[in-house]
Amino acid sequence: MSRTSTSRSSEKRLLRYVDIHSPEQSTDVDLAEVASFLERLFPSVRFRTRPSILTSVRKKCIERISERFASARMKDPNKAEQSFEPMYGEIDYERRTVLGEARIGGIVYDGRRLEDLFVSILGPQDLREHASIILTDRLVSTYSTDDLRHHLRTIVCGFPSIVSLPGIVEAPAKPREYYLMKQGMELQGAGDVQLQELKKEFEGRFIDYGSPKTSEVLKGLALQAVLFHLTLQPFCDNKGCRLFNAHWQEELIGSQISSGKLCAKHENVIRRLGKEPAFSW
Amino acid sequence: MPIFAKSSESSVTRAIISQFAKDMDGFAETDVIIIGGGPSGLMAARDLALKKVRVLVVERNNYLGGGFWIGGFLMNTITVRAPAQKVLDELEVKYTMYEKGLYMTPGPLACAKLIASACEAGVSILNMVSFDDVVLREKNRVAGAVVNWTPVGALPRQITCVDPVALESKLVIDATGHDAMVVKKLEERGLIKTPGFGAMWIEKSEDAVVEHTGFCHPGLIVTGMAVSTTFGLPRMGPTFGSMLLSGRRGADVAYKHLKKL
Repeated sequence: MSRTSTSRSSEKRLLRYVDIHSPEQSTDVDLAEVASFLERLFPSVRFRTRPSILTSVRKKCIERISERFASARMKDPNKAEQSFEPMYGEIDYERRTVLGEARIGGIVYDGRRLEDLFVSILGPQDLREHASIILTDRLVSTYSTDDLRHHLRTIVCGFPSIVSLPGIVEAPAKPREYYLMKQGMELQGAGDVQLQELKKEFEGRFIDYGSPKTSEVLKGLALQAVLFHLTLQPFCDNKGCRLFNAHWQEELIGSQISSGKLCAKHENVIRRLGKEPAFSW
Repeated sequence: MPIFAKSSESSVTRAIISQFAKDMDGFAETDVIIIGGGPSGLMAARDLALKKVRVLVVERNNYLGGGFWIGGFLMNTITVRAPAQKVLDELEVKYTMYEKGLYMTPGPLACAKLIASACEAGVSILNMVSFDDVVLREKNRVAGAVVNWTPVGALPRQITCVDPVALESKLVIDATGHDAMVVKKLEERGLIKTPGFGAMWIEKSEDAVVEHTGFCHPGLIVTGMAVSTTFGLPRMGPTFGSMLLSGRRGADVAYKHLKKL
């Protein structure tokens, strides 16, 4: 008995499956393309595209899950921990999102609380064989100890990792001049027409909702999630590498679209892990 | 030959008093009281009245329409995004397309048509009347509004001892815009806690306003910009399409609830 457990613990465990869950409502991302991109890098790992995680919520759990979604809202960007009793209307809205009766958008959720919630929906999983990447239509944030406030994120690496589709648009900052001009226009009470014109002026310098580039960006983010699962180190400092954690839209486009490649160091790392997707933690 | 028919001053006075007294008698107990006569409140009122629900709109100003008369930068062109132009079609408001999915119409035209449509549907209006407080029933369910003449609030203290009156209803809709006055009254009483505006500017918050339109407390529905305040949604600029659709959704939620009673 003890011999068996010893031999098991010394046995190298390899990542075998990665489930990529579809976003709750968006239909304009090509998950199969993301999966085949990852399969080319990790031929021994099976990348499976799954329906939205909300489809796994059992009927009897809908009320509890809705309440937890409502409690996971980030309400004060300056507070790391947020504890509050959700309002009747917030739970009702979340119930409708779980049932697919309400559109998701405009609300920011605490990424860590969302991760806890997704863990409870997914149920027990062997993390040494199995990774999950949850794509969501929700905006997610995490608290930064650098400046003591929450920031929107494109990806929250964890178990599972969460990739926020609206986060791709909203989290990395657009060009500084865009905000200055937008602020000036808003002070003058600018409406939709003027703001659309402004967007046209900056076209190509940021990723907007419904952009065909989203799936390409997703490939890089999904790769970051896989690398986190294996090494706990998903990011690279090189702005030309797909593992660069972009804080500006122009950096995101630069690393994921214009370059679209890994740096030399991470190309080696991925090649090694592709041959043997072993855990380093 | 005079242009106008003969009538006495006393007849004019009696006509005003008798009709208003009759109206007030009906307002004392109605199906839905909507506080605020801006675009979301009027839209909710119109849709409910078209379904034969007795609706009273309480508006603190002399005029109805709120900010719907004028658009951004004090320019009176109103823009709405699809699918809100369908509401303009229903109201028979002419509009032009600026680009695919974005439509423009003169504010005065859209606002006047919305007011007319609400009145023609049978909505009752109490203008120059301000919301003062809520009527609460079992388990703090909102069951009406306490109101007073708007000028009372502007009078010197010595002569503001004019008591308000209470109007009962099955439901109340808070359509008071960013102020969310009804919700704030519940907050004063410790019955609800609002987070205020979301601190981050996020696009697509219009969807969130429409989707969060609904009950925020038993007996109380929020519509329009009051939804943003109540649920701490991101701050928005003038987005009239979402106000119209939020009002419509508020009416829908109210109607479904009333049918169950």
